[in-house]
Amino acid sequence: MNIRFNRIIFLVCSSILITSCHQQTKSNGEKLPVIGASMLSLQSEFVVNVKDAMEARAKEKNVELIVNDAQRTAEKQVQQIETFISQKVDAIILNPCEVEASSPAIAKAKAAGIPIINVNSETSATPDGFVGSRDEQAGEIAMEQIAKLLSGKGNIVMIDGYMGQAAQIKRAIGAKNILAKYPDIKVLAEQTAEWDRAKAMSLMENWIQSYGNKINAVFAHNDEMGMGALQALEQAKLKDKVIVVSIDAIADALQAVKDGRLDATVFQDAKGQGAGAVDMALQLVKKQPVDNKEVFIPFQLVTKENVDGFMKK
Amino acid sequence: MIAGKLKQASDIISRYGIFIAFIVLCILLSLATPHFLTGQNLLIILRQVSVNGILAIGVTFVIITGGIDLSLGSVVALTGVVAAGFAHPGTYPLIVPLLIGLFTGVVVGLINGLVITLGRVAPFIVTLGMMTIARGLALVWSDGRPVSNLSPAFNFIGGGDWLYIPVPILLFMLVIVVSYILLNNTTIGRYIYAVGGNEQAAKASGIRVNAVKLFAYIICGGLAALAGIVLASRITTGQPNAGIAYELDAIAAVVIGGTSLMGGRGTVTGTVVGVLIIGVINNGLDLLNVSSYYQQIIKGVIIIGAVLLDRRNAK
Repeated sequence: MNIRFNRIIFLVCSSILITSCHQQTKSNGEKLPVIGASMLSLQSEFVVNVKDAMEARAKEKNVELIVNDAQRTAEKQVQQIETFISQKVDAIILNPCEVEASSPAIAKAKAAGIPIINVNSETSATPDGFVGSRDEQAGEIAMEQIAKLLSGKGNIVMIDGYMGQAAQIKRAIGAKNILAKYPDIKVLAEQTAEWDRAKAMSLMENWIQSYGNKINAVFAHNDEMGMGALQALEQAKLKDKVIVVSIDAIADALQAVKDGRLDATVFQDAKGQGAGAVDMALQLVKKQPVDNKEVFIPFQLVTKENVDGFMKK
Repeated sequence: MIAGKLKQASDIISRYGIFIAFIVLCILLSLATPHFLTGQNLLIILRQVSVNGILAIGVTFVIITGGIDLSLGSVVALTGVVAAGFAHPGTYPLIVPLLIGLFTGVVVGLINGLVITLGRVAPFIVTLGMMTIARGLALVWSDGRPVSNLSPAFNFIGGGDWLYIPVPILLFMLVIVVSYILLNNTTIGRYIYAVGGNEQAAKASGIRVNAVKLFAYIICGGLAALAGIVLASRITTGQPNAGIAYELDAIAAVVIGGTSLMGGRGTVTGTVVGVLIIGVINNGLDLLNVSSYYQQIIKGVIIIGAVLLDRRNAK
């Protein structure tokens, strides 16, 4: 009993020590503005890219940036914001886990008088600023390209992201907006592969069995799944007959577009979002006027013609 | 006379309950869709189940000793990114990523086994901890990003064919054969059953229980590494978040195959059938284009149903 209690005391003390050291070393010299950021998941490549861009811009602007990983849990995210508030950070950047469940974080920051802005995706509560992209637009751009390549006629299959997540819902809405304009494009099947390359590959293999030559194009909600479908088609020696378009412009997908394997991807500007979020947070900290509280960074279509420009970014 | 015949029939069902369930499932699916029972589709099913199959056979060893391994999925990710890190074209010969990947899995298995035996911590806790440790290491190693641009030789393991048969299937079969022999025809195999059946009795009869358990966890870690390498090669990238919840599919396959979670009872052939049942369900529901919401419900019902059938008959 006693030993256990001592251990707990030791753990608590050492963790306090570690965290306080961390703050001291970072805030030496003149007092730098501190921005706390709670990110959706640092296991997602795109979010890691946004985080890297934020860190780079923070360094450039001489700002201390504390980055927390909410690990896709809204509850954890709200706790992280509470910690930022008690640490008295100067501004908070929120990369929301969920539309509804992350909203209390906004209310808490506002009540504490700390400016909070959302990066990448929205919450139902309105923050002091927003830097991100409209996921519907990504679905629209991708599907428009498929329609163009099919000349408005053919059969497609759709591989969805993790069901119920904002990006999945909005990309599906965008795609369906465009499909409504092309009555001759038929959706043979729609199924989730949970953003996962291996799952998408298995799904595509199974679809090739049931639909075979009938499939003219594949729309995948992200590049990981697009690459999985692409590999399944290549293995079945069907790729030259089927169009594959996906979203995100990850490094692998850009290379595949350049090699003429993937027909197109849609670029979401991680750098623009991350840097833009830090800039806006700083403006709010310095109480400078912000002309535009909602900055939408557009998606861009990437094809073989313009892929080189994106590979450097 | 009739009672005798009935008894005979029920004996057959109880011995082969899970095989019968598997065959019934296949018949139903081939009636439901003409695309199911084709040579090509069966080959695809085998290729799709290889990763889960290799994992499930590995964890069969551990479960027979009365243990469990929840770190499988994370070890798949860790060994996948580590192997991929040494598999860029023009860097190392193929044997380097393979050996380093396998070695990583063996070390994880060794650590699991040592803490469980010498540290006397419950396998559930140790491997639960290892689940997050290995996932964290995979993210640290890969910096949270997929490790891509792998050599054609490396990608051949998951994507290539040898004598018209996909390499993952060949590896899966090799694992089946070696594991079958190991469990049925060797001393260490008999010890594994003995330790799981009654640890005290095994100890009393002079079996080095800790060494046997350590062996089981090392096999399990090594096979998880093989699965990780096959997966990374199949999807041509090492993914730090690959393999999430793979341990559950593997354990489900083992349990469907009639292995007791209490230890002491189980077979490689049973696990293989369990793996095939899960694979056939996944494939069949996609072929029938069943909505993904219903797929999850149907999978769960079939898993519980298959085990229920097995248990009722095994009484």
